[in-house]
Amino acid sequence: MTWRIILQLALSGLSIGSIYALVGLALVLPFKASGIVNFAQGEIVTFGAYLALILSGLGLPYLAVVPLVLVGAAMFGMATERLLIRPIANQPEFTLVIVTFAIGFVIKAAIRLHWQDNTFSIDAPFVGPPLVLGALRLNPAYLVFILSTVVVVAALFLFFGYSKFGKAMRATALDPIAAKLMGIRIGSVFSAAWALSTMLGAFVGLLLAPVIGINPEIGHLILKGLVAAVIGGFSSLGGAVVGGLLLGLLETYAGAFFGATFKNLVPFGVLILLLLLRPQGLAGASSVRRV
Amino acid sequence: MALLEINALSVRFGGVAAVTDVSLVVNAGEIHGIIGPNGAGKTSLINAVTGMVAAHSGSIRFLGKEIAGVAPHLISSLGLGRTFQHVELFGDRSVFDNVLTGFYRHQSYGLLAAAFRLGKAGQSERKTREQARLLLEAFDLAAYAETRAGLLPFGIQKRVDIARALAAEPKLLLLDEPVSGMSEAEAEAAVTTMRKLAREHGITLVVVEHNMHVLMNLAERVIVLNQGRLLASGTPAEMQANTAVIEAYLGDAA
Amino acid sequence: MRARVLLILAGLALLAALPLVATSYYLYLVELAMINVIVAVGLNLLSGNCGQISLCNASFMGIGAYCTALCTTHFGLPTLIALPASVVVSALLGAALGYPARRLSGLYLALTTLGFLELVGIVIEEFPDYTGGIRGLKVAKPDIFGLILQSNAALYFFVFVLTIAAVVVGANVQRSRYGRAFDAVRQSPFAAQALGIPVARVKVIAFSLNAAFAGFAGGLLASVVGFIDPPEFGILTSIQHITFIVVGGLGSITGSIVGAVALTALPEALRGVQEYAELIYGLILLGTLLFLPKGLVGLVARLEMLRPAKPLTEPPAKPPAKEPAYGAS
Repeated sequence: MTWRIILQLALSGLSIGSIYALVGLALVLPFKASGIVNFAQGEIVTFGAYLALILSGLGLPYLAVVPLVLVGAAMFGMATERLLIRPIANQPEFTLVIVTFAIGFVIKAAIRLHWQDNTFSIDAPFVGPPLVLGALRLNPAYLVFILSTVVVVAALFLFFGYSKFGKAMRATALDPIAAKLMGIRIGSVFSAAWALSTMLGAFVGLLLAPVIGINPEIGHLILKGLVAAVIGGFSSLGGAVVGGLLLGLLETYAGAFFGATFKNLVPFGVLILLLLLRPQGLAGASSVRRV
Repeated sequence: MALLEINALSVRFGGVAAVTDVSLVVNAGEIHGIIGPNGAGKTSLINAVTGMVAAHSGSIRFLGKEIAGVAPHLISSLGLGRTFQHVELFGDRSVFDNVLTGFYRHQSYGLLAAAFRLGKAGQSERKTREQARLLLEAFDLAAYAETRAGLLPFGIQKRVDIARALAAEPKLLLLDEPVSGMSEAEAEAAVTTMRKLAREHGITLVVVEHNMHVLMNLAERVIVLNQGRLLASGTPAEMQANTAVIEAYLGDAA
Repeated sequence: MRARVLLILAGLALLAALPLVATSYYLYLVELAMINVIVAVGLNLLSGNCGQISLCNASFMGIGAYCTALCTTHFGLPTLIALPASVVVSALLGAALGYPARRLSGLYLALTTLGFLELVGIVIEEFPDYTGGIRGLKVAKPDIFGLILQSNAALYFFVFVLTIAAVVVGANVQRSRYGRAFDAVRQSPFAAQALGIPVARVKVIAFSLNAAFAGFAGGLLASVVGFIDPPEFGILTSIQHITFIVVGGLGSITGSIVGAVALTALPEALRGVQEYAELIYGLILLGTLLFLPKGLVGLVARLEMLRPAKPLTEPPAKPPAKEPAYGAS
C-alpha cells in the first residue's frame, strides 16, 4: 500500500465525489426553497446529456454546447416549476414525492422512445490521455470534474452571500411569509431555485456525457446525490458538497480494499445508517420532525 | 389523593419559556379552570400534561403516578383525555367513525382476529358500534353520523371532538378552549353539557379558556396564567375582583 | 346495498368461468391483474390509510418471491408451506424496516425505503448461489398436497381463490380498529395519541402488514410465472404499485382493485403502440396526480355528488323534557 496508490485513489474519489456533490447541491436547492425534493433530478442529468447530444449532432463544438444546454435546462426547470409543481404545492407530501418521480419517468420514457437504449458519445476538449504529474497519472476529465465543482461552489457562495437575489432566496428559504411581506416575489424565487437546480443537473450531464457515454441509465446516480444531500442534513449546501466528496472517497477506498460488492453497499449502508441514527446529517440542524 | 397534581412545571422551547413554575392541584369531581390572555402558556401546559411536549422541569402526577416524560398514548390509557383548540378531527372520515375511533383503547382484539373477522373481533365491533351510536345520540350528533367530519361547521366539530374524547372514558378531561368559535347559543349548550358531564358522570374537568365569562358559570376554581407564570388562583368571582388579573387582561376584554 | 352485492357476485362468477372461454394468454393476464390487486390492497393500507410513503414495496414482493422459490425449488417444500413462510418472512422484514423508521416521515421515510430497496436489490444480485443473481431463478409449479398445478385452469383457480381471500382480509382489517387507527395516525397523530393509540407501533404494524401482502403476491407471482429476476423488483415496479393506488383511489379497497386492474390492462391495450407504452403510463400517472388527486374512485364520488343532494340541516329541536341518555358506557 503505497502513498502513490492512496493519493491516486483519493483523486479518483474526489473526482467522482465532485459529481455526487453537484447532484446533491441540485437536490438541496429546491428543497431549501420550496420544501420539495426533486426525484426527477437523475433524469435531469440524463436530459442534459441528451440535449448536448442533439446540439452536438448539429455540428456545434462542445464549448458552444455548454451554455446552450444550461439555458435550455434553466427554461425547462422554470416551466416545470410553474406548470407542474406549483399547482400541487398544497397536496400531501406523498403526492409531491410521487409527482417528481412521475416527471422523471416521463422524461426517461420520452428519451427512450427516440433513442432507445443505445449509448452515444460526444467529444469534449477534456477527454484525452492521462496527464503525468511526477508519480501520479491524472485523468484530465477527473481534474475537470473537481475544478468545475470548485467553480460552481464558489459561484453559489458569492451568489447567495452577496447578490441581492441570492439573499432574497435565502430569506425565502428561512421564512417565506416574512419574505413575502418584505416585498420579495417568492414565486420568482421558487422558479429561480428550480432553474438553478435544473442547470446544475444538466451541467453534470454535460460533464459525464463525454466521459461515460450517453444512455438512459445515467440518471441512476441520483441515489448518490441523495446520500450526499442526506450527509449534509438536506439543509446545508456546503454539507451536500462535503457529503458528496466524502461519499466519493468512501466508495473508492471501499472498492479498492474490499471489492466491488462492498463498494456498492457503501452508499446505501451510509444512507440507512444516517437516516435512522442521525437524520440531521453531519452538518444540519436538529430540526427533523419526529412524531 | 388528588387526581392531577402539577408541581413547579416549566416548559421551554429552545430559549423561550412557555410555562414557568406552575403548580396546580385538581381533585376528583372538580371543574377546574385555567385562564389567561393569548400566549399565556395555557396550551403548552396542556401539551406538557398530555405528554405531547416535554417538560423542562417539575412534576406531573396523575392518580399518584408520575407522568412527565411518559409517552402520550400511555398517558391517555391511564384515563387522561383532551380536546383540541383546533379540533383535530379525522377530517375525511364520518362523524360516526371519528367517535368510533375514540373507543380504540377499550377494544382488545388482535390483528389476526381482525383479519379473519374471528368471533372476538366481530363481537367487539358490534358492541362498540352500538356504544358509539348511543354516544352520538347523547350529543345530538345522530343526524350527522354519516357526514364527513371535515365538512361540518366548526361548532359541531367541537361537539364531535368532545364526544370522541369521551368515548375513551377518561377520568379527567382537559378541554382546550372548548367554546372558541361557537355562537352564543352553541357556547351555552356546550357549557351545559360540560356541567352535566361533571355532575352526572363524575368526569373531572379542566377547562382552558381565555374567556372569563364562560368560566364564571362553569368552574369552581380557576388559576390565572400570564406569560407562562401563575398569576393568581381562587374562585372565578375572586379572580374577577383581583386587580393583577384585571391588569393582565387590559386590552383583552373578555 | 343488495344490488351491489349481487353485482359483485355476478362479477366473481364471470371471473370463475373465464378458463372456459379465454386463451392461456388472457388467463395469464388476469392472473397478473389479480396478483397486482393483492399488492395494491396491501400498499393502500400502508400509504392510503396510514399515510406512510413506501418506495420499497417491490422489494417485499421480491422477498416473498425469492422465499417461495427457495422453499419450493431448493428445499422441496410444498407450496402450502412455502407461501405462508414467505408471508411470515416478509412480514418480519416489514416490521424490521418499520421499527427504526417509525419516527420518520415524508422525505426521510421515502429515502429510507429507497435505501432499503437498493439494499435488497444488491443482496439479490450478490448471492447468486441462492437467488440466481442477475440471471434469475426458475420456480417450480405450485404443489398442493402433492398435486402439481400444471393446467392453466388449475393455476387460475389457485390465484383466483387466494386473491379473493387476500381482498377479504384487507377489507376486514380496514374496517377493524386497526384500519381506524391507521387513518387516525395519518390525519392527526396528536388526536390519535390523545385517544390512546400508540402511533409508532401502529406504523410498524402497517409496514408489516403491507410487507405481508406484497410478499404473498410475490410468492404467487413466482409460482405462476415460474421464473423471477431482479429487474422485476426495482424502483420502477415500486412506482407502478404506487400508481395502482393513486389512480384507483387512496385509502379505498375498491380503489386498489380498480387501479390494479386498469393499470395491468393498460400496457396490454397499449401493445399496439409498444414504444409509447412507457410514456403514456408516465403521463397517466402525472395527469392523475395533477388533476385527480382522489383517483378514479374519487372521480365517481364527485360525479355522485352532482346528483341533487339532501340539504344539511340541524335536526329538529328536541322537546326540552327529554334527557339525552349519556349512559353509553
